[in-house]
Amino acid sequence: MSPELTAFLTNCFAGLALGSTYALVALGFVVIYKSTGVINFAQGGLLALGAYLGYTFSENLALAFGLSILFACLAAAFVGAGFERIVLRRMVGQPPFAVIMITIGLLFIIEPVLTAVWGFDNLQVPNPWNIQTVEAGGLVFGVRDLWTIGITIAVVTAFFLFFRFSGFGLAMRATAFDPEAALAQGISAKKVYAVSWAIAAALAALAGITLAAGPGGLSPSIGFIALAAFPAMILGGMDSPAGAVLGGIVIGLAEALTRGYQDQLFSWAGDNVSIIVPYLLMIVILLIRPYGLLGTKDVRRI
Amino acid sequence: MPHNRLALAAGFAALVLAVSACGGAGDSGGGSGGGDAGTPGTTAGFDGTTIKLGVLSPLSGPVAVIGLPLTAGNKVWFDHLNSTGGVAGKYKVELVQEDTQYKPDVTVQQYNKVKGNVVAFTQVLGTPSTLAVLPQLKTDKVLAAPASLDALWVREENLLPVGGPYQVQAINAIDYYLTEGGGSKDSKICTMSQDDVYGEAGLAGVAEAAKVHGFTVANQQKFKAGTENYAGQIQALAGAGCQMVFLTATPSDAGKIFGTAAQGRFAPKWYAQSPSYAGALSKSAVAPYMQANVLIVSEGTEWGDTNVPGMKDMVERATKFAPAQQPDYYFAFGYNQARAMTAVLEKAVAKGNLSRDGILAASKELGTVTFDGLTGDYKYGSVDDRNPPRTSTLFAIDPAKPFGLKTVKYNFTSDAAKNYEFKKAG
Repeated sequence: MSPELTAFLTNCFAGLALGSTYALVALGFVVIYKSTGVINFAQGGLLALGAYLGYTFSENLALAFGLSILFACLAAAFVGAGFERIVLRRMVGQPPFAVIMITIGLLFIIEPVLTAVWGFDNLQVPNPWNIQTVEAGGLVFGVRDLWTIGITIAVVTAFFLFFRFSGFGLAMRATAFDPEAALAQGISAKKVYAVSWAIAAALAALAGITLAAGPGGLSPSIGFIALAAFPAMILGGMDSPAGAVLGGIVIGLAEALTRGYQDQLFSWAGDNVSIIVPYLLMIVILLIRPYGLLGTKDVRRI
Repeated sequence: MPHNRLALAAGFAALVLAVSACGGAGDSGGGSGGGDAGTPGTTAGFDGTTIKLGVLSPLSGPVAVIGLPLTAGNKVWFDHLNSTGGVAGKYKVELVQEDTQYKPDVTVQQYNKVKGNVVAFTQVLGTPSTLAVLPQLKTDKVLAAPASLDALWVREENLLPVGGPYQVQAINAIDYYLTEGGGSKDSKICTMSQDDVYGEAGLAGVAEAAKVHGFTVANQQKFKAGTENYAGQIQALAGAGCQMVFLTATPSDAGKIFGTAAQGRFAPKWYAQSPSYAGALSKSAVAPYMQANVLIVSEGTEWGDTNVPGMKDMVERATKFAPAQQPDYYFAFGYNQARAMTAVLEKAVAKGNLSRDGILAASKELGTVTFDGLTGDYKYGSVDDRNPPRTSTLFAIDPAKPFGLKTVKYNFTSDAAKNYEFKKAG
């Protein structure tokens, strides 16, 4: 394999791995938006919370890493559903703007809580992936990256099966489509909202732990990645789970490839083109398709 | 914010300083020149018995991980000093600590809150915060010690920097690589740096080394602090055939960078600027890769090295006054800041004037403060004549050491670093 092809494929793989993380976060955004009409700005905070919970299960309680992931997702889901039940339910019928502001408030509350409990130090999450690699076809793949991609595929598949074939998935879709009609059919909107928050929080936790298992470890700033995943949701379509996944992958690939070919193709544009690429893509897509790649045309935007 | 952390992180470089101030407040208890003036009169921050010093540091928020140990270093030194009687053996020092949250606007607010109650500031943490209060320091004629290794401070008369600036680290590291590290001017020397003022400082040092040694930087990669994926940069460095990479980063990003390099089987000689390292890295998954490929350029000696008197003293004092303190370079940096400020206070007391003007005048007459062999001497005095330390120490990763670092080459100065000229900010 030529060095150029190797470099290209390596960059593509890096983009897929990064995009998978974006996809998990963006999916969380979409789940809540689709069922409640609210953009949850606290998604990054939930991601950090999930990562720290995973650290506690793995390091302090010495649980197997797989179990730590599971328990962290469940715990984060419990927190997400609890927040919806205790705080957001009181906001039913209120303008979405007010609810959005509450999610921003939650974001600012989570970080001090995390640092009060776990401190500011960079923490290493015990995990079997670390910087292990496998080689195939002349390419070197990071084990964590492979697991991140695999987990994302599995979760996204389960997610779609749940929505398409389960009764509750149907209830969620119905509520998202027309809350009043769903209510008339005996579907509990409250339950749907709570489950949406639980799912979104669990997805965020999953993204957080897979990120924290990397060589950079875990720090309070880990939630910042949600800012990069945000364009993925917009690009894919705010109400489209499939769009979130597609958007995540597109953004991840664009970022990695731009970075990889910065020297050859984009040196005229400065040193950090890859950072602005997600936002450029988002703007371009919105100009062409204001509802995103796979979004519904009549989506109301806040 | 993370990139500014670097500047702070800079403090890290002060690996273990122990200082003795020539003509100042060293362990020798030496007085300063002059000493023929009378007892200093009361003034803002001095009631005749206690000297109050301000500390503007992030005591909460993400950068508290730096601010807390750094402030602990300040405090341990002054606790020790007070236990021996205080400045000039009779004036106790009290710290007035204010939390800046690492926000420049908050720093200015806190500065204004306490400036009337202190004689000077023994710590202002971070480049952004220092820049924010600098205009007022000038207007108010107040002296402050920045917890930052930016070269900008060398020529500012209202600032009392300690430690060798980043440029010096870079110049010395490259000199070592070319003379003892297996490299030559024909080697592919590359850089990877944060896209901010901290990264620019490192690159300025590399550019100076390139000019002096006559090599061309083969490839330069930049990144924004907090980037999650470094595969593109590592690919580019590997593709350029880089044999040596000078890294300017913070620990979290450095860990990801080394991890990505390890996964990509890219193993050049990495020389990393001091803030790139934290003790946690020596216990992380990337530690084996770092042990094999990474050197850290910093100052001072290994934590707990009893061969260096200043280190021995510092560890003993930390054990006595802050027994819970863990090995931490920021602690050492704060400790040294306090030593330098003490030298100024000794001089001001000797001149019988602890007013703002008196303290500024004392700082200009300070002369050379010796850092007890842990880092180079800092020649203070008139800002035009100031000469910061030009020495560096190279460390390799060794998880068995208290802070995960073992000395490779101690306290050396290259000719290029000796001749480097510092310019005034702006």
